[in-house]
Amino acid sequence: MATITVNGVRHEVHAPGDTPLLYILRNELLLTGPQFGCGLAQCGACSVLIDGKETRSCAVALSDITPKQEITTLEGLSARWSEQMHLPAEEAKTTLHPVQQAWIDEQTPQCGFCQNGMMIKATELLESNPKPTVAQIKAAFTTSGPSPNVCRCGTYTAIIEAVQHAGQLMVEGK
Amino acid sequence: MRRIPARVFGASLSRRNFLRAGGVLAVGLGAVGLEVAHTHAAGPTVPGNSLDPTLPSSWIEIHPDNTVLMRTGKSDFGQGTVYTAYRQIVAEELSVPFEAITTVVQGDTDRTPDGSGAFDFLGSGMPNIRKAAAYTYQALLGLASDHLGVPKDKLTVTDGVVSGGGKSISYGDLVKDQQLKLTIPVSGDLTGIGGLSVEGNPPMKQVSEYKIIGKSFQNSVTRSKVTAKETWVTDVRLPGMLHGRVLHPKTLGSKLISAGALDKTKFPTAQLIVKGNLVAVVSPSEWEAIQAAEAVAGSTQWTEWKGLPGNADLFRHLRDDMDWKSTPVTKAPTNKGNVEAALRSARKKLSATYQLSYMKHAPIGPSMAVADVSPDGMVHVHTHTQNPQQLRAEIAMMLKSTPDHVVVHTYSGPGHYGRSNGGNAGAEDEAVLLSQATGKPVRVQWMRADDMQWSTQSPAAFSDVQLAIDDNGKLAAYQIDHYMPAMQDDRLVGAVLAGLPTQPAPYVVADSIASTSNDLQDPWTYPTTPNLLEHGHGTFQVGQQASPTAIGLRDHSMRTPGQFQQNYPRELAISEAAALAGADAIQFRIDHSTDERAIGVLKAVREASGWQTHPSPQPAASATGSATVTGRGVALMFRSQTWWACVAEVSVTPSTGVIVVDKVTVAVDPGIVINPQQLKRQIQGGTVMGIGIALMEEVAFDQSSVTTDDWIAYPIPSMADLPEINVVLVHNPKVGTYGAGSEAANALAAPAIAAAFHDATGKNIRRLPMKPAYVQAVLSS
Repeated sequence: MATITVNGVRHEVHAPGDTPLLYILRNELLLTGPQFGCGLAQCGACSVLIDGKETRSCAVALSDITPKQEITTLEGLSARWSEQMHLPAEEAKTTLHPVQQAWIDEQTPQCGFCQNGMMIKATELLESNPKPTVAQIKAAFTTSGPSPNVCRCGTYTAIIEAVQHAGQLMVEGK
Repeated sequence: MRRIPARVFGASLSRRNFLRAGGVLAVGLGAVGLEVAHTHAAGPTVPGNSLDPTLPSSWIEIHPDNTVLMRTGKSDFGQGTVYTAYRQIVAEELSVPFEAITTVVQGDTDRTPDGSGAFDFLGSGMPNIRKAAAYTYQALLGLASDHLGVPKDKLTVTDGVVSGGGKSISYGDLVKDQQLKLTIPVSGDLTGIGGLSVEGNPPMKQVSEYKIIGKSFQNSVTRSKVTAKETWVTDVRLPGMLHGRVLHPKTLGSKLISAGALDKTKFPTAQLIVKGNLVAVVSPSEWEAIQAAEAVAGSTQWTEWKGLPGNADLFRHLRDDMDWKSTPVTKAPTNKGNVEAALRSARKKLSATYQLSYMKHAPIGPSMAVADVSPDGMVHVHTHTQNPQQLRAEIAMMLKSTPDHVVVHTYSGPGHYGRSNGGNAGAEDEAVLLSQATGKPVRVQWMRADDMQWSTQSPAAFSDVQLAIDDNGKLAAYQIDHYMPAMQDDRLVGAVLAGLPTQPAPYVVADSIASTSNDLQDPWTYPTTPNLLEHGHGTFQVGQQASPTAIGLRDHSMRTPGQFQQNYPRELAISEAAALAGADAIQFRIDHSTDERAIGVLKAVREASGWQTHPSPQPAASATGSATVTGRGVALMFRSQTWWACVAEVSVTPSTGVIVVDKVTVAVDPGIVINPQQLKRQIQGGTVMGIGIALMEEVAFDQSSVTTDDWIAYPIPSMADLPEINVVLVHNPKVGTYGAGSEAANALAAPAIAAAFHDATGKNIRRLPMKPAYVQAVLSS
C-alpha cells in the first residue's frame, strides 16, 4: 500500500510498488488525462507535474513517490491555477488554466492525444517563465525532459502560439 | 391534415400518422440503389444498425427547440472536419446558425447512416451530409409554403426562420408535434471502402449567399480534450474487463513452436491464451498483464524465418528480386506522343532513379481496443478506427458471422493517418478473439514495440525517370515508371495469426482494393509537354510470398497514399529538368502549365516566400566545407480538386551532412475555403510530418523483423525541427467546390527540400530520407 497526493487529494493505493504511476492514475484513480504512448519516457503523452516538474508517469514507480510530493494531472490544472490566483470558489469552478484556455483559443490540438503532455510541459515552463522566447519554448519542449515531447500531427506551430498566448493570459492574471 | 409535398427533387417526405412528444423531422435512408445484400427485408435500413427499421437512421434531425442533430459515418481523426466544416456545410445549406447544430454523432456503426472512411471528407465538394442538408432544406421550405400559404420561391430563410407574405415561422414550429420522415435516395455498399452515397441533385445554396462557410469556427471537441473531459478510446472500461497483451511472433514469418509457461505464483490472476500463432496474456491488472506477457515471451519458442532482404539491400531487392511481371502495368490517361523518339533526338537529357524508404504512420498511441463478445454471438468493439463499417465486416468475416452481429463504437484516439481504414490496426480483432476465449470484455493495448514492428507501413517505392529538354528550354519528353509494392493490406493481423478467415493478402486482381496494381495517383500537371509516358508497376508486399503466414512487410495507405510516392519523384525530376534547361524552377513550372489555378498557386507561393528567381544551383552553392550553404526548392501537386504549391528553404552543412529546414511556404487553392483557421492548422501539421518523411523517417528491418521498435530508432520531428511555416490560402469561390485533401500538405515538403538541397549544394539527392550519412555520401560523390 502507498499514499500519494494527486490534485490536492491524498489517496491510499493498493498496488505493487513497482507499478508505474501511469497505471495507478488511469486504472485506480480514473484520472485519464495522462495517456499511454510508449511506456519508455520517450514521448511525453503520459506527463504529469510532480512538485511542478514535468515527469513521465510511465517511468516512475509507485514506490518512488512520497505522500508529500504533489502530483498534478491535466484534471488538476484548473484548480492549480485557481489556487495560485486565490480565486473565490465560485469563480474557480468555471475558470480554466490559462494553458487550457490558450489551447482552445489557438485551436492547438489535431487528434490531441499528445496534448496532455504538451500542456503539462507548457505549465511547467510558464510557471517559471511566463514570457518565454520561441527559442526558450523550443528548448523546453525538446531538451528539458527525458525526451522531446512529440506530436505526430505536427502541431508545434500551434503549441508555440498557444504557449505565448497562455503566458500573456497568466501575466494578465486571467 | 396538411398537404405534404410528395416528392422533392428525388426525395420523398411523409408524415407519420402518430404524434410523438416534441416532433422531429428526421432525414432517413432510402433504399434506392442500395445493394441487395445490405437491404433489410423489413424496410429501407441496413442490417445491424440498431436503429428501428421503421424509423430510418437519421442524417439530420430538426427539433422543435430549433436545434439540429447531424450524423455522419465518418470518424474524426483529429482533422476536426466533422465538427467544423461539416457543421458549417449543414448550417449553410439549412440556413441555420452554426450554433444551432448542437449534436454531431459520428462513426458508430449503429448510430450513423453512411459508412466509409476518415478520408476525403469533402468528397469533391459534395459530402453526403451536404446533400442530406439540401434535401432537408427543400422539405422545410415545402412545409413552410404549405403552412404560410406562400409559394416556395417567395420564401426567404434567415437563421432557421422562414418568412413570406408578411408572415414567418421557425423550423422548430414547423416540425413541432409532428413526426415527419424524409426519405432520400442512396446507393453503395455500407461496409465497403466507400460506404453509401446520397444520390440525386437537390438545389444547393449559392456560393455568393454563403454566410457560415468561410469563417473560422472552432472545433467543439477541443475543449473536452484539453480539459480531460473527453472519453477517449483509452478510457473505455467495461464491468469485468480484462487487460490483454499479445506476444507477437519473434519474426514476421514465425510460427509458434510452444508457448512459454505462465508462472501462477508470480502472476496469480493472469491467464495465458493461445489460438494458432496468436499468443496472449490477460489479467484484471494491467501491470500484471504487462509483466506476465514479458515473462511468457521469454520462454515462448517460435520458428526462425529470414524472408526479408534487410533494409540495406532494399532497393536492389525491389528492382531485381520482386515480381513486377504478374501485375498488369497501369498507364496514365494523359499519355501521348512518342517519348522514345523525342528522347533519342534530344541533346539535353536526364535519366535518374528516385527512391523512398518504408515509413510508419506512427501514431502517438499504439493500437488499442476493447471488445465484448456475448454468448449469443453479438460483438461490441470499442475503438478508434477510420472505417467502422468496414471493420465490422472484417470482424464478422473473421468470426464466420454476419455484420449485423458486430457493433463498432468509435471514440477519440490517436491519429492514424490512414492505416486503420481497412480495420487492420491490430488490437480490435485481437481483443475480439481474447474476449471470445475468456467470455469477458478484453482491452488489448499494444505496446510501443508491437506498434512499430507489427503495424502496417507506408510502402517503399522507386521511380525511373527519363526526360528531355528541347532547344527552347522546354520539356520535350517525360517518362516515369513507378514501382511500388501493394499498398492496401486490409487483413486483420490477429485473425491471420489465429488462422481465421480474412480478406486475401494483396494479389493480382483487377479493380480491387486488395490488388497488387500500382494505380497512377498523381495527375500530370504540365500539359504543354508534347510527349508523355507514365506507367505504374505493382507487385506483392516484400516478404509476403516468402512468409508461411503471408505476412511480411504489410503496407497500408498513409496520408496522400500512392500519390506521395509518385509526386515526390515527379516533382524532384521537374526541378532537375528546370536546372537542365537553365531555367528557374517556379517559372519553368508556370511555363509548362495551362491551368490558371496551378499558375495561381505557383505565383502565390513565389510571392509569399520571397523567392529569388534564378536557375539552380544558386551561385554560392557548395558541396564541401563546414560553412552552411542555403537553397530553396519548389513542389506542385493537384489532389482532390485542390492545387498545392510549396517552397522549402534549407541550410546544409556539407561537412556534417545535416539539412535544416528553415522555412516552408505553402500556397493552396481548394476552391472554397470552408474554415481558414482549421485548414491552416492542418497544413501546418502536415508540413511537419512532411519534414519527418524527408529528413529522418525510415523503417529499418533485418531479414526477419522490423528493427526500429521505439521513438529512438524511429524518430519523428520534434519542435527542434520546426521551421517557420507560412500558409497562404487562396480562396477561389468561382471554382464552386470544396477541395479536399489537406493531407497533401505532408507530401509537399520532401521534393521541395530535395530541390532546395540541389540549389544549395549543386548535388542531386534522390532518396528519402535524407539522413546525414546519406547526405554526406551524396555530397562526396
